[in-house]
Amino acid sequence: MNITKQRFINIHKYALGPALLLYVVGIFGTKVLQIGILFAMGAGFFNLLHQKYFFGRLKLAAHIWLIPTVIGIFTYPLLMEKEPSGQNAFYCVLTLIISLVPFFLLITGTTEEKPSKKERLKIISARIVVQILVFIIYAVTTAYSFIYGTNVALFFWGMFHVFTVAIFPFLFGRVLCGWLCPNATLQDGLFKNLTYTRPITKLPRAIEEQSHSSAMYISGEIDKNAPYFPFTLLIAWFPMFFTETVFDLTGVLLYPVIFMYGLYFGSLLMPWRKMCTHFCWLSSYRGLGAQGSLWRIRFNKSKCKNCKMCQAEEACPFFIDIRNQDNEMPATCCLCFSCMEACPFEGVITFRRAPEEKARLKAAGKAV
Amino acid sequence: MEGNYTTPLARWARILEIFIPCYMFGKSWGIADKKTFELFRAMFPTFLIDGADYLKKLIHTDNTNIERLVATVAGAIIGFLVVALLAVVMHIVLRDRKYIDSLRFTSVTLIPIAVLNGTLSHAIKTLVESLSTQAPDALYASTVSSSRGTVAINVLFYLTAMWMMSRRTGVTRSRRWGVIAVGVGFIVLYLALGLMISPNEWQVLLPKLQQALATH
Repeated sequence: MNITKQRFINIHKYALGPALLLYVVGIFGTKVLQIGILFAMGAGFFNLLHQKYFFGRLKLAAHIWLIPTVIGIFTYPLLMEKEPSGQNAFYCVLTLIISLVPFFLLITGTTEEKPSKKERLKIISARIVVQILVFIIYAVTTAYSFIYGTNVALFFWGMFHVFTVAIFPFLFGRVLCGWLCPNATLQDGLFKNLTYTRPITKLPRAIEEQSHSSAMYISGEIDKNAPYFPFTLLIAWFPMFFTETVFDLTGVLLYPVIFMYGLYFGSLLMPWRKMCTHFCWLSSYRGLGAQGSLWRIRFNKSKCKNCKMCQAEEACPFFIDIRNQDNEMPATCCLCFSCMEACPFEGVITFRRAPEEKARLKAAGKAV
Repeated sequence: MEGNYTTPLARWARILEIFIPCYMFGKSWGIADKKTFELFRAMFPTFLIDGADYLKKLIHTDNTNIERLVATVAGAIIGFLVVALLAVVMHIVLRDRKYIDSLRFTSVTLIPIAVLNGTLSHAIKTLVESLSTQAPDALYASTVSSSRGTVAINVLFYLTAMWMMSRRTGVTRSRRWGVIAVGVGFIVLYLALGLMISPNEWQVLLPKLQQALATH
């Protein structure tokens, strides 16, 4: 079946309608949370809100519908254990129908529209796997600590640890911001391609200006007058430390949880990753040691065709315009390799500096 | 290039770069209470805790949170004084900038030590909470001895941060070694004046701690 854009929307609308109805009726009828249907609604809304991204990637959209299927199958025995009744079996079958019909339609469907991007890079696939795994660990540890009342929010504190925020960036740059941070994962996975208009579409000019006025953002040489960090990142530190100390919150479970959820909701108000760029104080702290890290990407300026596919607002989560860099990445680079994937040409953005680039830099009298 | 740094927020960023690390650096010294005072005096340089305590006593309040606010601000003032003093030495070594920029440099590079102070003050709190449930030797091992690893890693980062920050702001290689020497000197002095509680000191400290806990 040829899936046109309207047909894509309709499939999701027709799946979402019964899911909503069944969820409400199911809760009143069985008195238990029908978790499979809940996830079916999540899958429907997710695909609809990301329709711009998923249209043209039908197989990927189909796989989102496998989540409620799996959850429905796994939660059914638990529901039966809690409340053995024929009703639960009925809702389980309906969950499977609601999630498997869109799955089969999308997996077997074809579309003429294709995404413009080049083939996925292996390093990006690896990043996505790592992001998902770390996010699951984070979600499980947080849920565990909520259920058992224990302080296993250690995962969160681990992100503050001097090794992860300090020593790690010397070796791998701000890999934590690109690969490990749960908020970054949510933003990349859920928020990036959302089609709704953000309440704050544009930040004040003074805030945006910071991206060319602090050592963290500037890739080349700076002098002693330059501020190390942007103002908004510094000011974001203060309430955190102040509240923690004055109200004695160190080690209190709720404190990191509120902080992370604050970041999640804050991120929904602004364009993709603006929260990280201008307001996450952990993000700036990691920038302290990330400049010129051992693992970094190389921009071979001499090979660039200036096609602008990698331009800052499109590809880079930290709004680095790689074309302005002279073979040195600023400390803000989180090694997500999105620019490498966005570039349609080979050898422009690489792990190693190209010989032509070495020659160009040598001729310009710059450090090779 | 310099014109880029004169945006309104860049100016404010420079000011915050002085005050925030100073606050982080000193706040831990101010939060010692009646129960933990002796332990803080042993874990950190004594005169810093006494100085913060003197400032705290200038304002009296019955509200716990305001008391903690006053305590952290008192510690932050002492922190600022220490950083300002260290910045004088750093200024002589760096030689290429105004004192205010040397102060900013010193302040930012001290962040790892500020984190160390915070970690140690949290360790003290944990120690006091478990004083009645654990044996003295186990307490010593779980808090004082184990914190030495944290001290080592924070010191390592302090020195690497100094190197990276000075390299980033165009300090010549030979002067960078001078910067590191100042850092090493400071950290040796800081550790010698506190942090390294010996088992003998612990034997003297423990009865005082138990007495403070019984009284308050």
